[in-house]
Amino acid sequence: MTQRLSKSALSPWQVVALESFQTPEQTQASQWWRSWRAATTWIIGKEASERQAKEESELRKLPEVALSHWVPAIDWSPAANALSQAVDEYADAPIVLFISPPYGGHDAVVRRWAEQHGVNCLPTPTFTELAEGGLEWVERYGQQRQWAIPALERHFLRHTLGVQGVREWLERALSGRLGQGVIGCDSWSYAYLQHAVGLEGVPVVTLQALEGEQLAHYFAHLAQGEGCPTVYSSRTGKPILTSDNGDNIKRERPCKELQRLAAHCRGHLGIAWYYWRERLRKPVESCDTERSDEQDQDALWLLDALAEAELPADTGDIATLLLHALLIHGGLEDQALSYVLPFSQHEALGARLALARQEILSCHQGRWQVAPLSYASVRQLLESRNYLVDPL
Amino acid sequence: MDDQEQYAKLFNEFDSQMLITLGVILVSTVILIIASQRGLNWLANRLHGQLRFRVFALVPLTRLLILITALAIAVPIVIEPSLRNMVTLLGAIGLAIGFALKDYVSSLIAGVVSAVELPYRPGDWVDIEGTYGEVKHVGMRTVEILTPDDDLVAVPHLKLWDSAIYNANNGGTSLQCVASFYLHPEHEAGWVREVLRDVALTSAYLKFDKPIIVVAEEKPWGTHYRIRAYPVDPRQQFLFITDLTVRGKQVLSGAGITPALLPPDTAFETRGAAS
Repeated sequence: MTQRLSKSALSPWQVVALESFQTPEQTQASQWWRSWRAATTWIIGKEASERQAKEESELRKLPEVALSHWVPAIDWSPAANALSQAVDEYADAPIVLFISPPYGGHDAVVRRWAEQHGVNCLPTPTFTELAEGGLEWVERYGQQRQWAIPALERHFLRHTLGVQGVREWLERALSGRLGQGVIGCDSWSYAYLQHAVGLEGVPVVTLQALEGEQLAHYFAHLAQGEGCPTVYSSRTGKPILTSDNGDNIKRERPCKELQRLAAHCRGHLGIAWYYWRERLRKPVESCDTERSDEQDQDALWLLDALAEAELPADTGDIATLLLHALLIHGGLEDQALSYVLPFSQHEALGARLALARQEILSCHQGRWQVAPLSYASVRQLLESRNYLVDPL
Repeated sequence: MDDQEQYAKLFNEFDSQMLITLGVILVSTVILIIASQRGLNWLANRLHGQLRFRVFALVPLTRLLILITALAIAVPIVIEPSLRNMVTLLGAIGLAIGFALKDYVSSLIAGVVSAVELPYRPGDWVDIEGTYGEVKHVGMRTVEILTPDDDLVAVPHLKLWDSAIYNANNGGTSLQCVASFYLHPEHEAGWVREVLRDVALTSAYLKFDKPIIVVAEEKPWGTHYRIRAYPVDPRQQFLFITDLTVRGKQVLSGAGITPALLPPDTAFETRGAAS
């Protein structure tokens, strides 16, 4: 509780040791709520269970130009600065791990950190090198005084041959023979590598989870140039963020809707940003209605943040194993699926296609991964079925 | 004449209202039992992990509670519940059971015991006198076990009295699986041990919060290795063992390690030991 109160600073860039990470308030309640909503949807139907103050049909999606104005991409530089301070505290450690959940930006943060410090980012081994279990890529790294690996999840495959390289390399790095390095790693890959390779004693840092108030502060100042217009919740019809004359942004206290979003996203900014971007709407312009209040015309609406692509409770084993494999590897290319899953290539592809059709998966640079808006429900499903989950 | 009066005192006078009441109790009991059994089974089959087993455990217990309640309501309607009447009734029932329905009633009583002691519950993987499979239903008289060969075997509860019940997961989600490898004696045992551990560590079915143990045992014909590990869900046990076996063989044969070729009589002994 003391720690919670001390999180009064509204900056979202607080890098903490993994043991100090705390999910936002109401995270557990958010999971129960999700289960309850799934049950009510099953009993009384989707529309009845999701009564909205403003119907989705009355709203339209924002054009890309407006979106890039109101919700520009996250600038991870402040996180890199915070990481820099955290790394300084572990001056004697041969490696420092910076972990984040999917879409949590560890890759970008470590790259930015490396740029700031003029440190070389080590190249990623190819799929063939990993699949064949060769150690050439480990030898290629050689000895450097300082180095960085932005995404450790690209350095292994869950396969008897695919873990040999990363095991060998981490062993050398941990012995201090390779100089000092900062490693960015997906939190799911970290959870797996802890068991498969052993990472005891390695300092692990992460971004602290955000509470609703911090999210409100971040989103209010996200828009480029001017302030953010008033944003209403389509669920309650109440304002989430309000602006005074377009200049001063004031946050509603308490920001219940954003606290709900923070709890749903387990306090991860990267995922909350996707919700904000994907769910922001504008009212449909109507010729019949005369709008007296000019502010209202500029107002934005946030669709019910939690109405994302949900996994059915009876999701089969093949889909579950596929989702778990994708999370553990931080996304995979199609060709890698049969290496890490106990199915044939066509079975794995069939399952991947089905999940992609349901918008549970999305493709980024040729790698399939769990879509940001489905992440919360996928994580909850895997946890309920006793699969290994990340520590964040 | 006296006997007739005594019997008349044992049972209350039967009239149409009593019969209707008993009929209503009977029908309600049957409906409640069917509804609770189907409802709880339906719910449990949609759940996963520990919660699934907790709901399954409620199935026989709920039925027992409904039956006791129904009997508690029905018996005083039929007989005057005095000490003398109860002794007479229980004596008569005891006599009938002793002569004709001993095994049947023994199974029913064992069914009640099984609902309280929980030696098995739906979802458990049990072995009762050589029948191995998943408990699908715990009935009044029998427990239904679905074997891996898809045979549904009804085992009477009375086996509880004198047979060992092997329960592999005991109402939990942890079920140890064993994958065996029989190797030619000339190989680097340390390397094989490490690689077999990696085979388990890289299985998609592995439950990580349980240990992985590789056991090596020297035999006259070679070395017997066993991977002992746990799948995420007990229902994945055969897929898990298959996955370990297939990938283990792949890695071992890739490294040029040959399997032990056992003489036929030794093969039989080994099979017995492994099972």
